[in-house]
Amino acid sequence: MRIPILKLHHYLLVSIQVELDDQTAVEFQEDLLQKIHETGSTGVVIDLTSVEIVDSYIAKILGDVVSMSGLMGTKVVLTGIQPAVAMTLIELGIHLNNVPTALNLEQGLIKLKQELEE
Amino acid sequence: MDKVLQQIVLENRTEITEQWLSLNNDLENIRRVADVTNQLLDTTNKEFLDVIFGSVEKKGKTAELANFSERLIKLGWPLNYITNGLQSFRRITINFILEKSEETSREYFSGVLESVDRWIDPVINYLVSEYSGSWEHTVALQKIALQELSAPLIPVIDGITVMPLIGTIDTERAKLIMENLLDGTMKHNSEVVLIDITGVPVVDTMVAHHIIQAAEAVRLVGATCILVGIRPEIAQTIVNLGIDLSRFPTKSSLRKGFNAALQLTGRTISTIKNEEKEIEQIIDSLSKG
Repeated sequence: MRIPILKLHHYLLVSIQVELDDQTAVEFQEDLLQKIHETGSTGVVIDLTSVEIVDSYIAKILGDVVSMSGLMGTKVVLTGIQPAVAMTLIELGIHLNNVPTALNLEQGLIKLKQELEE
Repeated sequence: MDKVLQQIVLENRTEITEQWLSLNNDLENIRRVADVTNQLLDTTNKEFLDVIFGSVEKKGKTAELANFSERLIKLGWPLNYITNGLQSFRRITINFILEKSEETSREYFSGVLESVDRWIDPVINYLVSEYSGSWEHTVALQKIALQELSAPLIPVIDGITVMPLIGTIDTERAKLIMENLLDGTMKHNSEVVLIDITGVPVVDTMVAHHIIQAAEAVRLVGATCILVGIRPEIAQTIVNLGIDLSRFPTKSSLRKGFNAALQLTGRTISTIKNEEKEIEQIIDSLSKG
């Protein structure tokens, strides 16, 4: 099960619609970095609206993806994190401090634009 | 033997009543809790004795007892009126029976104690459980009311939501606050959420920890959290306790916080009616005329 990564102008869009297991998450990490390399995209939006469970490992992978993309000069915004997911992450002590977030895809794109302009 | 004792008690009802009444006219004690006149105390005492004798006669709970306890609870009589009354009734009755009888054997004595207990205990148990039941009911109702008031969320304008907090925050309430805050943020599509702690009397490490967690969670779902209503004494405690609130913006008043929120969402408030200009126009028109 591979997670589709869509290209939209200079951006990449990823909507995660399956429960992430460790294997899928690692594959996704590789795929995304590869895709960034191929397309030379400047921004990525990862939408988590349909994700209901995020464990500490997945959270770490997501945090890593953001840092890794940053190294490649690409900004990543996480959108649509569900309240329950946010609460679990905070309770686990995972604050994802270096990760920009937005309410939904629309605002994620706006945020990405703002971050790239800075 | 039980029958005989019962007979003794019921036959000497007037005497026991007199002794009991002399012990149970401590009006001051009841006055502290409920508004009771001498007359009311007299009638209630009489009724109480009727109930007790009724239960001696029938051995246990009666309809009058249920009726009586319901009325006492409604009027707010203290529970110790009932327990004291029943305990003194027990003492008087035991003394009375032992005085009346010639027998002094140990079996007889313990028999007397047992029968009297068997008359009185069900009444005590029933009344105490009725009282505590009514208290538990009240506490449960208040808890629900408190929960309803504990974490309100007000969507002020598009994208800006305010949560005013009043009163102390404990772990249970903090959880409710976080849930309401996050659900509300999603529901109202808020870009900025203001948490107003003007009404929170004390901010200690625990409360601060809960607020920080809520703010972090709000950030994760993609909104910005501004903490407003930080009074000088609260600012002092926060710094003295070494709590780090630098990760999200804080403001002293809701007004300042709201302005910051408007800025974050790229909006301003402008006055449409410009009074100075209007006055100038009036003066202009006067000079022209």
